[in-house]
Amino acid sequence: MIPEPPRRALSFLRWFCREDCIEEIEGDLVELFEMMWLDNPARAKRQFIWRVLLSFHPEFLRSPAKLRNSNLKSMIQHNILMSYRSFKRYKSSFLINLFGLSTGLACVLLIWLWVSDELSIDKFHANDAQLYEVMEHVTQANGMITRYTTPGPMSVALVEEFPEIEKAVTTTSLWEQRFVLTVNNNDITATGMYADPDFFTMFSYDILQGSAAEVLKDKQAIVLSERLAMSLFGTTENLIGKAVQWEHERDFLISGIMKQPPTHSSLNFDFVMSFELFRAENEWVRNWFNTAATTYVQIKEGTDVAALNEKLFDLVRVKTENQADHRSPFVTKFSDLYLYNRYENGVQAGGRIDYVTLFSVIAIFILLIACINFMNLSTAQASRRLKEVGVKKAMGANRSTLIFQYLSESICIVLISMVVSLLIVILFLPKFNQITGKELQLVFDIQLFLSVVAIMLFTGIVAGSYPAFYLSAFNPVKVLKGKLSNLKGEQWARKGLVVFQFALSITLIVAVWVVYQQIDYAQTKNLGYDQENVIRVRKNGDLERAERAETFIQEVKKLPGVLEASALSHNLTGHNGGTYGVEWPGKDPNDRTEFERVAADYGAIELLNIKMKEGRPFDRSFGADSSKIIFNEAAIEFMGIEDPIGKKVVLWGNEREIIGVMEDFHFDSFREEVKPLFIALNPEWAFNILVRVEEGRTKEAIAGLDQLHAELNAGYQLDFHFMDESFDILYASEQRVSLLSRYFAGLAVIISCLGLFGLAAFTAERRIKEIGIRKILGSSEWSIIYLLGKDFTSMVLIAILIALPPSYLLSREWLNSFEYRIELEWWLFAGSAAVALLIAWITVSLQTMKVSRVNPVICIKDE
Amino acid sequence: MSEQSLGEFEELVLLMVAAYHQQAYGVLILEKLEEKLGRKVNISAIHVALKRMEKKGFVDSNYGGITGERGGRRKKFYVITALGKRMLDQQYSIRTSIYQEIPNISFNS
Repeated sequence: MIPEPPRRALSFLRWFCREDCIEEIEGDLVELFEMMWLDNPARAKRQFIWRVLLSFHPEFLRSPAKLRNSNLKSMIQHNILMSYRSFKRYKSSFLINLFGLSTGLACVLLIWLWVSDELSIDKFHANDAQLYEVMEHVTQANGMITRYTTPGPMSVALVEEFPEIEKAVTTTSLWEQRFVLTVNNNDITATGMYADPDFFTMFSYDILQGSAAEVLKDKQAIVLSERLAMSLFGTTENLIGKAVQWEHERDFLISGIMKQPPTHSSLNFDFVMSFELFRAENEWVRNWFNTAATTYVQIKEGTDVAALNEKLFDLVRVKTENQADHRSPFVTKFSDLYLYNRYENGVQAGGRIDYVTLFSVIAIFILLIACINFMNLSTAQASRRLKEVGVKKAMGANRSTLIFQYLSESICIVLISMVVSLLIVILFLPKFNQITGKELQLVFDIQLFLSVVAIMLFTGIVAGSYPAFYLSAFNPVKVLKGKLSNLKGEQWARKGLVVFQFALSITLIVAVWVVYQQIDYAQTKNLGYDQENVIRVRKNGDLERAERAETFIQEVKKLPGVLEASALSHNLTGHNGGTYGVEWPGKDPNDRTEFERVAADYGAIELLNIKMKEGRPFDRSFGADSSKIIFNEAAIEFMGIEDPIGKKVVLWGNEREIIGVMEDFHFDSFREEVKPLFIALNPEWAFNILVRVEEGRTKEAIAGLDQLHAELNAGYQLDFHFMDESFDILYASEQRVSLLSRYFAGLAVIISCLGLFGLAAFTAERRIKEIGIRKILGSSEWSIIYLLGKDFTSMVLIAILIALPPSYLLSREWLNSFEYRIELEWWLFAGSAAVALLIAWITVSLQTMKVSRVNPVICIKDE
Repeated sequence: MSEQSLGEFEELVLLMVAAYHQQAYGVLILEKLEEKLGRKVNISAIHVALKRMEKKGFVDSNYGGITGERGGRRKKFYVITALGKRMLDQQYSIRTSIYQEIPNISFNS
């Protein structure tokens, strides 16, 4: 048998070894192998492989196949050199491109970070695909509303009656309640919620100690987050089974420690207690009529959600024997709810996703504008590089080589811009985080790298393709003879791009202006009540007892700096709770329209400066006001009661006399119409103590409040808010969007202007001889400015004409989501157009002024 | 000067090439070197040394005929060139002249 050396090693040797060495090396190795084979075949094989590996030496390596017979390397070197020279020679256009592209890319990167963060919210749960939230469509006389709240028995019924549903939990996650926890007299206020036992097995909030399935089984159980455990105990070790006092009322036993919910979680809580306890103690949560809790389900894999929703449609009707026939539950994917959180008339109507789309569009706009700058400047420069192209072509360069050259030039500049933009991003990220209220970070991982490379290639190719194809198409003979080919077409293309660029900028200006106006309107509009200098104190602990609260309010009134104090159940920044338990003569028995219900103490209406249209507010001097009721105008109108004062309505079975009608005030977002509302006198239910303080004496008043609170409500922290601040939070997301879009629109305008500036400079330079001759023949400076400016003016005017209709439609669309909105006035559009035109003029005139003053002798002396 | 330098191992290989005039090729050099030095020598080190010396012009090479052995690959025989010989002589004379300068040292202690 002929000994055969290991085949793989041999073919590896043949693969890497140079042609002129292979014969000698292979021969020697095989000879040695054959000799050793006689003694010890296995060892011979091992040695052969080892020797092949040792021969993998630079001296014997084949040079990479591609480079051996091509000039690719030298071509790339040449291209980089040409790019470098052209950057050096045309510094101004290089800098314009660099600045434009790098700010454009920086915007794109920042927006990309923000968008990917928004998209990742709630997506971290391992069961993400199966986690659904139960919601309810509620039919009202004035349309359908959609709510997150569900009845308490829902979760049990879902698991028992629907085989598609694997697990279901009821929670109080929507409320974000804050409670006092105490360990060794150390009081900590933290956000807590109740949840059913399966909560931790459905959601991926990691349990560090304890078992996810068991931690909420016991009614006394409490699960603390690591952070909370640290602040209560100073350690996270050996806490299982220890007691924590809750609200100074009862003790809970720690059953588990969990990781703090991540920032990508829309549910926020520091500790969790068992919903079983809540259910046992609150009668209202055990029936199907009241809704307040939130229900989450985990459906089985492969479930047809549409079919499930059809089955769920009648659930509440069946359970309440058709008494609550206005409510239709349905499930929707939990992790989608963060972005798709708006429903209009029972139909999904966007939500936060609108802003994600808006910013993605802005990012693309800005990048496009920067790319257009690059295209325009490089085609404009083409005439300077005609000779280069001509010579290259005459020497035998074909078109693809030239395309490759210009593309590599554009990718080269994009690469430099990318480095600059990364620096910009690092510099501005803290500021950006402050505006967006996020904790974004630039993490240099593979994902970022791939995105950066993708964005770079995209930009490089978009920006470079037009000049590349355009420049490479010149006819060398004509070019070398000095004849410019298709100049007309080139100018049209360039003008078209400028028009497009300005149309984008104008659209952005209009959009930003509209958003700003609307936000401003919302913040300065007369709300119907006076929110300035009002502090809202949430009742807790002993203050929940009526007499103690009464004493507290009386004492507060005596504090220095306090003008007035009262109590109200509503926080006036959103829907707090409603009822359809109002009956009036002529009410349709099937009507389930809810009235916002508000409980108040004496003086609350006066404290808030809510104007009475008719009648009077609650007043001690009349007595027995607890059997009276006050409506807002919207409610009176809805019920259709004429001359309401003194008429009777029935509330929850008790007759009540209408003593007053308030003018409508905004207790909910401006996106909502003012809904029917009533106020009943019921100090016990009024959970918020309102304190009006004297202007400028806020600090004094708060200090007094704090002291008083410590005396009358020992062990609890003063939980207070300024009403105007809470109101601002209602518009926080709009405000962020407004501020951010202002920045981005500003950048877009600056980048377009840079392009215009470069183009104006170029045109002026090209026509310098013409200008010289005109001046010699007696043309004035102004006529020269007019001559050069009119082209640009007409371009911007066309851009305005193109941009206004879409920007009008866009703004109207956005404003339509607000029930109370500004009117789209003509001057808003005229103003934006004027701003664009003015900026364009200033930009262009910077150039033309310089050119018009030129000494004609200098510019026409050489030819 | 790198063209003219000769490494220690290269010198050994060159000596072998000179000693087995017209017969020296990779495997033979390996065997004889191992025999003389009494230690294992790496074949690819010899290949590298030969290759470098060929570039420097110390050795010349020519292929032998095809045989049934060696997987049908030809042997590459090396011969020393005049330049190589001069280099060896020079090295030899440097060494001997230094050697002769060594005084008589007694190692009796």
